[in-house]
Amino acid sequence: MTNPSPLTTISVTPPETAAPALRSDDRLTFPKMIAIPALERRDYAMQTWLFSGVFWMVVAASIGVIEAVKLFYPEFLQGIPALAYGRLRPVHVNLGIFGFMSMGYLGAAFYMVPRLTQTALYSETLGVLTAWGWNLNLMGGVLAILMGLSKGKEYEELPFPFDMMVGILEILIAGNLFSTITVRKESRLYVSLWYILLAIIPFPIYYTLGNVMNFRGIEDAIVNWFYSHNLFGLWLTTLGLATLYYIVPKQLNKPLYSHAISFLGFWTLAAFYPWNGGHHVIWGPVPEWVMTASVTASIAMLIPTIATMVNFGGTAWGTQGVMKRDISYRFSIVAYLSYVGTSLWGSGLAIMDLNAKLHFTSTTIAHVHLGFVGFGLAGLAAFIYFYLERSLKRGYSRKLAEWHFWLTVGGTIGYVVSMGWLGWLEGSEWASGNSVQGVMALRYWYNVARAGSGGLLLIGQLLLVWNIWKTMTSGPSEGLVTGMASDESNTLKEGAAV
Amino acid sequence: MRFIREFPIIVALSFLFGLAFTGLVLAPVFASDISEPTPKLVAYTPTEQHGREIYIREGCVYCHSQQVRNVKADQNMVDAYGVSKSGDYFYDIPHLLGTSRQGPDLSNEGQVWGKASGDFAREYLIGHFKNPREYNPQSIMPSYSYLSDRELEELTDYVQSLGAWKIAPEATETTAEITPTEAQS
Ligand code: HEM
Ligand code: HEM
Repeated sequence: MTNPSPLTTISVTPPETAAPALRSDDRLTFPKMIAIPALERRDYAMQTWLFSGVFWMVVAASIGVIEAVKLFYPEFLQGIPALAYGRLRPVHVNLGIFGFMSMGYLGAAFYMVPRLTQTALYSETLGVLTAWGWNLNLMGGVLAILMGLSKGKEYEELPFPFDMMVGILEILIAGNLFSTITVRKESRLYVSLWYILLAIIPFPIYYTLGNVMNFRGIEDAIVNWFYSHNLFGLWLTTLGLATLYYIVPKQLNKPLYSHAISFLGFWTLAAFYPWNGGHHVIWGPVPEWVMTASVTASIAMLIPTIATMVNFGGTAWGTQGVMKRDISYRFSIVAYLSYVGTSLWGSGLAIMDLNAKLHFTSTTIAHVHLGFVGFGLAGLAAFIYFYLERSLKRGYSRKLAEWHFWLTVGGTIGYVVSMGWLGWLEGSEWASGNSVQGVMALRYWYNVARAGSGGLLLIGQLLLVWNIWKTMTSGPSEGLVTGMASDESNTLKEGAAV
Repeated sequence: MRFIREFPIIVALSFLFGLAFTGLVLAPVFASDISEPTPKLVAYTPTEQHGREIYIREGCVYCHSQQVRNVKADQNMVDAYGVSKSGDYFYDIPHLLGTSRQGPDLSNEGQVWGKASGDFAREYLIGHFKNPREYNPQSIMPSYSYLSDRELEELTDYVQSLGAWKIAPEATETTAEITPTEAQS
């Protein structure tokens, strides 16, 4: 470590009430001028992002359950325009992506960046203000959709000016994180930081492209999917993986299995993911090469997927003991397995023959929720428990967390299996000449099962919220639940910053 | 590798992203079959366009695709109406291809329940929007009885225009040539 002194100021995790032990040379002068003292608490920005993400997650999941019920019992909440299925669905998706996933994982990023760079966040004030701006803006955008002002394309429904505001806020967020990375004390860049750089830098380009205007016909569809897939691949997946790369070595108190494999995984992901967009219109009316390039890139995604699989698998090998006692780590494993599962599945969906059968079916819905719930939600839960216990040094209720864990796992499996299986049946029926109307009866019980699984998921997440609330409002605890929590700062050097 | 700094990372990432951007976004603009309408295709009339906006507002696209692919699952539609071509979407701004088939594909609805079938088809469509389960008890389509009569008419106009141009008699070719220029001006 070249510069040990700031290390002590930054990464020894203080009790909640500690004043920010920032020294003047830790920061540039400009952000100090706009600093609002009340907001200049260490990790305040990170907490605002993280807990906002949790809030939106619960809202998104609740709406998901309502939608799921409507799909087998359409009279449910019928007749209210703002609660019609076609308006709730984009709200569910936008809250899931821009509320829950984006905010939750930005919370994790705001946590990781100062620690990995050994540098105080460029501006806590800016971080907190952008988080509130994001919340209000998203709320406005979603209300607009409910009022019937949707832009009408998947993942870009938020109407003007709410859509452009997301882009502007992201630039401020990126500026905040990027400045911290630029003035950092620790010269080495741990792999999580690479992923964060990949997440924050290209976002304004594809986001603006996707949202600013409509193109003509098929060109519009191609741009729509170029944007959307970058949103999943370069924004959500990268932030999620960055978080897993950070917490898993710390949970295990050992370095990653292989730095070289992280390197391979990162660069192949960065090379292939942006080419994936066209796999949403396989066999569709798009130029031949768009399809060929995207199918090839989707199958090439096996390389980063397998790299991640081997790297985390190698790190996690033989850690059943930790899995038993550390719920946070167990969530990391679920997130890791779901990520690998979603990605292998995604590469499979891009195979021309399989796509011919499965596109337009519920298989896609299963794939999506394995990604967002199995990977996204479990990964964020892993981070939250990690944060409460290892950073805030507070004991959460072990019993509630166990329930949360098993409800999440059970709900995810129920969701993914019911929809995956249904999708396969639909695809088979259609391939043998049956019509869409012909499979409606078949769908009934699968849709019931999906709604039931969604209910379990939702109950689980309410337990998480309750647990966070209880933990945050009680003081730091003496005896920590898992009894293995080591000081955050020790593992930072040995484990994470390879 | 250990001491890699952020600058080369950013240059390399920008290059990789730029490559995909060029290939997937810029290059298709120059594909001619994307930038020309299919022969006989006509632009939407103002009421059809209003109907289309209602279709967007109510989120019909989340359950209904407008895309027939040359695959086994779509064989019946391919035989009856042909495969969707990029020029078919020339006037679709924004596109409404859809990714899911909770309900049937609608790209040829203007032939299934077309204007040619007269009042009967129109009454069916409007009645179905208001109460889908009166016509198919298993349907899970929401009831749109909250739309005004005028909105229902416009929506019906739009839906009846879908794919209808494909069976228009040759004579309409002249109108087809006029309308695009009107639409562009
Ligand atoms: C309680 C849990 C959940 C339930 C019951 C649920 C239910 C649903 C339903 C019914 C749909 C529409 C499916 C269809 O069109 O056939 C859907 C779509 C979607 N959900 Fe969820 N959901 C849940 C959680 C989440 C979460 C946490 C996210 C986070 C991002 C999410 C993201 C999405 C996305 C992106 C889609 C659109 C998929 C597509 O267009 O292919 N869901 N969900
Ligand atoms: C190697 C990784 C992946 C590949 C190759 C891949 C591939 C695919 C393919 C081919 C589809 C389109 C299916 C169809 O419509 O026929 C799809 C849909 C989707 N994927 Fe993935 N996927 C991958 C990973 C992920 C992950 C990790 C997530 C979430 C974090 C995700 C989120 C989505 C979403 C939201 C859709 C639905 C788009 C829509 O139709 O609305 N994917 N993916």
